[in-house]
Amino acid sequence: MSAPPIGRVVATELKPSTPHQFYFWTATESAVGIGAIVRVDHPGRTVYGVVTDGMAYADLASPLHAVIGAEGDPAAAAHEPTSRTEVRLFLAAVLRQIPEEPLQPVPLGAVHLASDADVELALRMDAYTRSERPTGIPVGVYALGGHESPVLLDADFLLGPEAAHLNITGVSGLATKTSAVEFLLSSIFQTFPSHRGSIAAVCFNVKGPDLCFLDQPGEISERDHALYDKLGLAAEPLTSARYFAPFKADGVNLNTLRTHEALQHNTEPLVWGLREVLDYAEVVMNRDDIDAKADAFIDFLAERVVGREFTDELLRGKPFRVESFADLEEFFRAIFDFMEAMGRGGEVWRTHHIATIRKVRNRLGNISTRAKGLVIDDGAPNDLPWGKFDDRTVYVVDVAGVDPLAQDLVFARCVSKLREHLERRDLGVDHVVVFVDELNKYAPADGPDTYVRKMLLDLAERGRYLGLVLFSAQQFRSQVQRRIVGNAGTSVFGRMDMDELATPAYATLSPAIKIKLATLPKGELMLRHPHFTQPIFARFPRPAMLSGREGVERFPPGAELPFADAVARQLKQLDRRVATDAVRALVEGRQELDVRRALALTRRTRPDDVLAFFTAKLGRRVGGEVVTARSTIRPVPSGVDPYQ
Amino acid sequence: MISDLTSLRRALAAAGITPASVVPAASADRREEAEIHLAQLVEGDRVEALPIGDPVGWPGPVAFLDGVQHSEVVGYAGSSPIVVASAAAAVRERTDRVLATRVMRRRDLAIGRRAALDAAGPALDALERVELSDADPPHPIRELAQAGAALDDARGALEVAVGVAYRGGSSAWLVVDGSLAESPVWARDPRMVGVAKSHSSLPFDGADLESYLRLPVGYRSPIFAPASRRLAPVRAWAVRLWPWEGKDLLHGLIRVEVAPASGTPETADRISRWLMAERAPISAPDPRWDRMLYGIRSVEEFLRATA
Repeated sequence: MSAPPIGRVVATELKPSTPHQFYFWTATESAVGIGAIVRVDHPGRTVYGVVTDGMAYADLASPLHAVIGAEGDPAAAAHEPTSRTEVRLFLAAVLRQIPEEPLQPVPLGAVHLASDADVELALRMDAYTRSERPTGIPVGVYALGGHESPVLLDADFLLGPEAAHLNITGVSGLATKTSAVEFLLSSIFQTFPSHRGSIAAVCFNVKGPDLCFLDQPGEISERDHALYDKLGLAAEPLTSARYFAPFKADGVNLNTLRTHEALQHNTEPLVWGLREVLDYAEVVMNRDDIDAKADAFIDFLAERVVGREFTDELLRGKPFRVESFADLEEFFRAIFDFMEAMGRGGEVWRTHHIATIRKVRNRLGNISTRAKGLVIDDGAPNDLPWGKFDDRTVYVVDVAGVDPLAQDLVFARCVSKLREHLERRDLGVDHVVVFVDELNKYAPADGPDTYVRKMLLDLAERGRYLGLVLFSAQQFRSQVQRRIVGNAGTSVFGRMDMDELATPAYATLSPAIKIKLATLPKGELMLRHPHFTQPIFARFPRPAMLSGREGVERFPPGAELPFADAVARQLKQLDRRVATDAVRALVEGRQELDVRRALALTRRTRPDDVLAFFTAKLGRRVGGEVVTARSTIRPVPSGVDPYQ
Repeated sequence: MISDLTSLRRALAAAGITPASVVPAASADRREEAEIHLAQLVEGDRVEALPIGDPVGWPGPVAFLDGVQHSEVVGYAGSSPIVVASAAAAVRERTDRVLATRVMRRRDLAIGRRAALDAAGPALDALERVELSDADPPHPIRELAQAGAALDDARGALEVAVGVAYRGGSSAWLVVDGSLAESPVWARDPRMVGVAKSHSSLPFDGADLESYLRLPVGYRSPIFAPASRRLAPVRAWAVRLWPWEGKDLLHGLIRVEVAPASGTPETADRISRWLMAERAPISAPDPRWDRMLYGIRSVEEFLRATA
């Protein structure tokens, strides 16, 4: 037996029902609220709608009558013997009509609160949850009107190829944005259908410890457990996770908050050399720098010089072998020496003007300075496992502690590499979700058209064809490049700032929806998805992993170690048998540059005997020599100079 | 039932009746004549303003009764009008400040001379026939007045039936819009109160009338026995609910009627205090808000919305 109606559709000449919206009234006490999904029953037609606005009014024609009735005493009004007749009138936007054709005004039928089945139909989820090859991804529960109904997104419209990308907006401080993305990644990894291929995620941690503990289980409440059960998900962290972080300036301590001993096993350095950086030199160029001449010279370096033997008899007799920034600096020095020696007329080398060469040299040199720790002058790089990405694995790149230029460089290179490999279908997975927080910083609506912004725009506009999906977050959507957020098939809104809601981008939302958005509690959000014809409010459970703050408390970052101890810790990660004292003794008195080079080679090679390999790569120790005073020719006594 | 007057007029035209469309002036509201029917004082020997004390809320549940009517001329058979009318009455009971309908009845009528109604044929079959007297020769204006009176009677009878039905099943007070003298049953009921807003018929003349009409707010007149021009004797007094100065002599003035057995000064004071408390919420935007109790207006609104 169906539940009794909670309202009736009402239509007047001034407030008519239309095919897209309708009014209904309810008793003064009802479970209907803004965002509630309702069903209108009428013979031959069922209409689903979502409440977008509400009104209440009494039979008063003027507030003055209330004042007169209470004789000016507000307290007396509460003691009136009869409560005034009051109407609760709600405005609902149509989500779906069955049958869909002919599309007609909403009939004057009875209004019911939506059940689980109604929610599924109203949001058109039946199309992708009840097909032979379902593609539903749980995103939360619709929890209004006394029901908790699962809400699922369509993987084809969240992760491509039909539509793709997700953008989340909300004020800072509530952790809703980060939590929502963490939960959604967990949901995707658990439910992404195998017939759609494999999937991984690359998350850029850009502030604090936000994403540093995705692999560590966190406490969740009974209520959240119930939500997980309702959604058919396991409450578990992202156990398959790998972390990458650049070094600090010393080149051996990792620049991350994830330095606790217990977290070392899957935390690796992110280190790039000249070869890795050169292709993305444009990232560090400003608008004035980018010209055909600089491009041509960088291309010349990349194609003719770096990583290969380059011979120019005019510069020096022996060939150049440029593998590092140090080698490159030596190469530039040779050019400048040659041009100085040429004197007048020595302003061009191989068609490249000296000013262009100097500019490129300065910019590239700037990278190794500002991105010290990420970019090494010498030694072997350590990078994300391009070509060997694992299914349902999250790769977190922690760039929270590095210079903004280095962050840009990391974005540019990682996303470009993902794109390259996905185009060649050799990444190891078919789909990759890239999560970028603080999107308004990297792709602002105003400001210069940077390389990173262009790259993100390209990702938003063309990524879905490749399986490259952008999950982005920011505090103010209006401050992000419109085409980037506009290409997000799915938009999520947490608690919003009223100033932000006053911008034209939110003009389609009713005042009531805006008020609800401005006061949304933690864990609730509003969803736009291609299958949902209207925004829907949903609640998601707390992600079953440690938040950044909890993680830092439970796994306090290790103290920055002395050089030798930091080297020992990294070697221990490769082989637990390595003794710190032994490493100290080995490193003692060595040039740090030599030690870093040996460490990088050991890390890259991963030999069976780590300590022996490291020792071998350190090379023979050059013993110290005590300089003693040598006997010299006795000075000629003064005053008896024979030449005078 | 008679909401589709257009169809009804078409059917009457098919039966040879000449369609018409007019709301009789006499039927748009109830007929009243300005006159004086001298009453007999039963409290004191002259009309004076008696203080009633501070307002007090009505104890326990209380119900309100009212009726509505509407009529329209839908055709003429020869020179005789055919009037279709609806009358409805209801009781809404207030418990814990909330009003709810307890009893409601409705009558749909076709009023006219027998010959006129017969000429209409089956078009009026769904309506209750009320035949006007054939004693006089046809006169359309007189017949319209007679139809209005017949409708008044039908509504009055409906109100009485509804009131009796409610009181038969409830011990709550019942406040009636109008006079209790409409019915001997009402007039005997110790828990019924009539509240009349109309003062077309005044109970005094001379200085007494002046005192009666110039009552200050929060005062009542002495109890009197209205001249019995209706069915049953009652006791009555006037209460001024709102100050009239600067407005109108009758502003806020109501006549209260109770059964003769309840016509004591103590009862009059007590009921007057209850009625003073009923001033709020006021019945605006009804133009008679100064005299209409909110509960009565609620019944009217309910009947207009449903009848």
